[in-house]
Amino acid sequence: MKLPLSWIREYVDVTEDIQTLCKKMVDIGLEIEEVVYLGEKVNNVVVCQIVDIAQHPNAERLLCCKVDIGGEIIPIVTNDHRVQVGNKVPVALHGATTANGLNIKKGKMRGEESLGMFCGPEELGITADYYPGADVDGVLILADDAVVGTDIRKVVGIDDYVLDVCVTSNRQDCNSVLGLAREVAVALGKECKQPDVTYTECEAKTADLVTAVVQDYDVCPSYFMQGVVDVKIEKSPIWMTSRLAKVGLHGINNLVDITNYVLYEIGQPMHAFDQADISDKTIIVRRAKDGEKIIPLDGKEYTLTTEDLVIADKSRAVGLAGIMGGANSGIKDETTTVVFESATFARGNIRRTSRRLGLRSDSSARFEKGIECATNILGLNRALHLVEQLGAGKVTQGAYCLGKMPENKTIVFDESRIEKLLGITIAEDRIISILQSLNIQTFIENGVVTCIVPPYRDDISRDCDIIEELIRVYGYDNITGTLMEKSRITSGGKTEKHNYCDKVRTILTGLRYNECIFYPFGGKALFEKASVNPIDESKYIRVLNPIGEELSLMARELAPNMFQCVGLNLSRKNNNLRLFEIGKAYLADSLPLTTLPAEEQRVSICATEVTFEQFRDDVLQTIYAFTNSGVSLVRGESNCLHPGICANVVIDGEVCGQFGKLHPQIANNFGIEVDCYYAELCIDKLLAHKRGAIKFSPISKFPSVTRDFAFVCDEDVAVQGILDEFLCLPLVESATLFDVYRGEQLGKDKKSIAISVVFTDATKTLQDKEIEKQSGKALRSIQEKYGAVLR
Amino acid sequence: MSKIMEMEVVCLSTLNECTSLQSLQELKVRFLGKTGELTGLLKSIKDLPPEERPTFGAKVNELRNKLESAFAEKQSQLKEQELQRRLRDEKVDVSLVNMQPWGALHPVTLVEKTISDLLIAMGFEVLAGPEIESDWYNFQALNIPADHPARDMQDTFYITDSILLRTQTSPMQARLMEKKQPPIKMICPGKVFRSDSDASHSPVFHQIEGLVVDENITLCDLKGTLEYLASNLFGPDTQVRFRPSYFPFTEPSVEVDLTCSNCGGKGCSLCKGTGWIEVLGAGMVNPVVLESCGIDSKKYTGYAFGLGVERIAMIKYGIPDIRLFYECDLRFLKQFGK
Repeated sequence: MKLPLSWIREYVDVTEDIQTLCKKMVDIGLEIEEVVYLGEKVNNVVVCQIVDIAQHPNAERLLCCKVDIGGEIIPIVTNDHRVQVGNKVPVALHGATTANGLNIKKGKMRGEESLGMFCGPEELGITADYYPGADVDGVLILADDAVVGTDIRKVVGIDDYVLDVCVTSNRQDCNSVLGLAREVAVALGKECKQPDVTYTECEAKTADLVTAVVQDYDVCPSYFMQGVVDVKIEKSPIWMTSRLAKVGLHGINNLVDITNYVLYEIGQPMHAFDQADISDKTIIVRRAKDGEKIIPLDGKEYTLTTEDLVIADKSRAVGLAGIMGGANSGIKDETTTVVFESATFARGNIRRTSRRLGLRSDSSARFEKGIECATNILGLNRALHLVEQLGAGKVTQGAYCLGKMPENKTIVFDESRIEKLLGITIAEDRIISILQSLNIQTFIENGVVTCIVPPYRDDISRDCDIIEELIRVYGYDNITGTLMEKSRITSGGKTEKHNYCDKVRTILTGLRYNECIFYPFGGKALFEKASVNPIDESKYIRVLNPIGEELSLMARELAPNMFQCVGLNLSRKNNNLRLFEIGKAYLADSLPLTTLPAEEQRVSICATEVTFEQFRDDVLQTIYAFTNSGVSLVRGESNCLHPGICANVVIDGEVCGQFGKLHPQIANNFGIEVDCYYAELCIDKLLAHKRGAIKFSPISKFPSVTRDFAFVCDEDVAVQGILDEFLCLPLVESATLFDVYRGEQLGKDKKSIAISVVFTDATKTLQDKEIEKQSGKALRSIQEKYGAVLR
Repeated sequence: MSKIMEMEVVCLSTLNECTSLQSLQELKVRFLGKTGELTGLLKSIKDLPPEERPTFGAKVNELRNKLESAFAEKQSQLKEQELQRRLRDEKVDVSLVNMQPWGALHPVTLVEKTISDLLIAMGFEVLAGPEIESDWYNFQALNIPADHPARDMQDTFYITDSILLRTQTSPMQARLMEKKQPPIKMICPGKVFRSDSDASHSPVFHQIEGLVVDENITLCDLKGTLEYLASNLFGPDTQVRFRPSYFPFTEPSVEVDLTCSNCGGKGCSLCKGTGWIEVLGAGMVNPVVLESCGIDSKKYTGYAFGLGVERIAMIKYGIPDIRLFYECDLRFLKQFGK
């Protein structure tokens, strides 16, 4: 909300400097986004009077003037032949700066001395809204009453500040000069004047001009209307257009300007209809018919539904309620009779219509925030006062007052609530004086506070709202920190999943992996890049209103973002990457969603320039954060991994993740030219297999026995299976592969594997017989299952 | 006899020239080994006339003793030399460092961890909630009905009419209070989503929600907790300032500023000359929210806060652009390692 200081001063006697004002406003909750001094760039420009004009001796286009700048006559050369002796004009003196960025220096023009430059609207940064005649291209001729020597900023209305105030969404009442003035008055401890809303009604009756009917009070809770006859459409006075210009509007004509002025000053969006355009003199507030068409003032045609609210006469819609008037009933130069509308339209309704049609206006923006019916009346009366003040017409007798009328609200609560919520006490007389300054009538009796809240404060509905008013004026600096000494003890801690995620982080950072975080959504193009098979887009949860297509699908895998990151890093010459992310996969049972989908916690791990064995061990270390029993690696298949170098991590029969070497095609898609390995593990699944409580098992006092075995088997045999045949024996402590040999004498596609098996018994010294019995079992089984023969 | 003396001379002189432990060992085997020369000499005793044998034997044994002690002496001498040589020759350029340090945690994780650890010690439990959330928990249960203007503060990504990407971690407030009666001390860190993207806004960022509900919880407790966090995050002199604000689910609501960690409150470019940096929103839980979750608002009061993790990290580490957090350039990530 733009707030010119000069406008605020109409209501509050602000004598403080701008910094103090801003600080006090911030302190009570009005955030100031920007402070602009309108005359900031215009320096050392004053009013002068031309006392003599002569033709430049060396240049036909130039004139040599002598000007009085207040006790001193100086020479100025100009090329504007409109100037005459006796004119008062702005002159930029030596060292001056102007709004269009000029730095003025004294000098000679074609041999004639000039101690400055005459200025026009461009140099002053103004328009005709600020000063009459400021639409010329050339020197601005000032009014005769301008005082010679005066700083020009004071003359053309730019010796003013405009504050950009950020109003929180609960304070709809502050979206106006008056609303902010009330707050400024509280902040400064001063009075706020009431707007002048007096006017005299003429003979003509409103009821003779128009009949107003509201059909849908649920979306139009209050509706006020009053007429103006003998309208004279003309320009508004400068005091009005300059204020409108400072908040970013242009002067159009007196009637339209009055509605805009009231919108900004009182916060009430108004509409003025040309009464001649209202057929049957009837205004009906009704829901639109399905398919009904309207052309508002922007000239475009919109098709409406029964959700939308229109202002209509008997035959057609003449306005889109609260958003924009119809092109068929607007104010024209020849308008003679006008009816003003001042109403409240339901904010949700305005919001939906405005969004659907993509049509927004100052008016709809206000209605979306909410307008109180008290403001309807104030706005209408202020508009009528301005009509009279500007001599724009005569106000007709009587107004339509349909629907709700403003009411005060009474809130009663125990005074002890104040301390209970704030933790500090505030003296009773201070409580009363603060609330009174906010126009909240307050009485305290026997520890009970009674507050009568003015209707424009619809944000205040219960005790805590009053307490907030109290503390924001009393000052938050009076709150001193305490550490919940009076609350009960609770035990803090993380969830099991958080703890395990932390554990994974510790392990992976210890293994020199760096943690990444990516957006959990992406686009079809990215997901396709990360898959050798076509992706089924219909399985992805889709954002209805994404920033772009590339951020429209919720990830079902962590891989695509990781590959993209690897590609990016490699392209920047960041080598030897070790990266991981703890993120989520969003998996819908069915689409469109009717319930919240599963969010599966996962970890992705990626490394470049490592061997399969190194990477496998890193992945296993991560898995061992959860469990190291029942874990097996089985050849797997994946959309993004090399078919020959891809393992499923299986724990007690459940696949909990996959890892392997990046598929060459995928590597190519992401510009990855080095060896790259990738793992994606499901933390939720790993958690389901987490190891139980640790239990000590006795350490054998008897020596262990190591036996080595060598087998010949087919190349395809997974060695782990052979090891497992030993590992499942009760006396086997470990079984490890220590050599693999391939050679001609073995035959094609054969390999020889050497395994070292350690046997132990906690209860006795092992006998060869026992070992042979045990290993014999394993050897038979190995031969049966894997066709592996002892060498 | 002369053989004995000859051997003594040969052996001792060879021994004298011996310079390594290895050659000493060879020499020892040559002379004193089982098949060594001395043993050979002893064996030649059988070729002597019987009367000379005792003397010869004694002489040989005398020589053995002599040689053994000479060897022992030489050995310790050589060992000492070897030690001195190693001490002299074995040198490493200890100034060289060429190792990969531990991997780094993401700065978001670092800040989350710091804050979680501090608050866990104060009795807060750390909870997680869904990122794909219902309109009910994200808005309505937090006193933000449909068409409430506060919805405009947060540009929401929708999945369906009633399911969305959570715009805040606050839904966890309602989710927890529905299930649990006070005392409640909870934080909920996590990803949130808003349709916004530039140097200081990312469509995805992280928040930490804090909620305390019990008897006797006041605005002073909120300030105290935030002062405790601030001093641990940014240094003991960090001050906390409350400014009035508005959130539908807290009343009173405040914006919380900290003294600028860059200039210590004097005013600089980071704090735009104000000396203060806005870091989070907070307030006393709106009784409407307590009541809709089935908590007695007459008996219990509470406070809540929601802070932006990246915002804290940007201030703490001086990171200029939020997009760096999600690009994950290795040179960015590595800076947060220990």
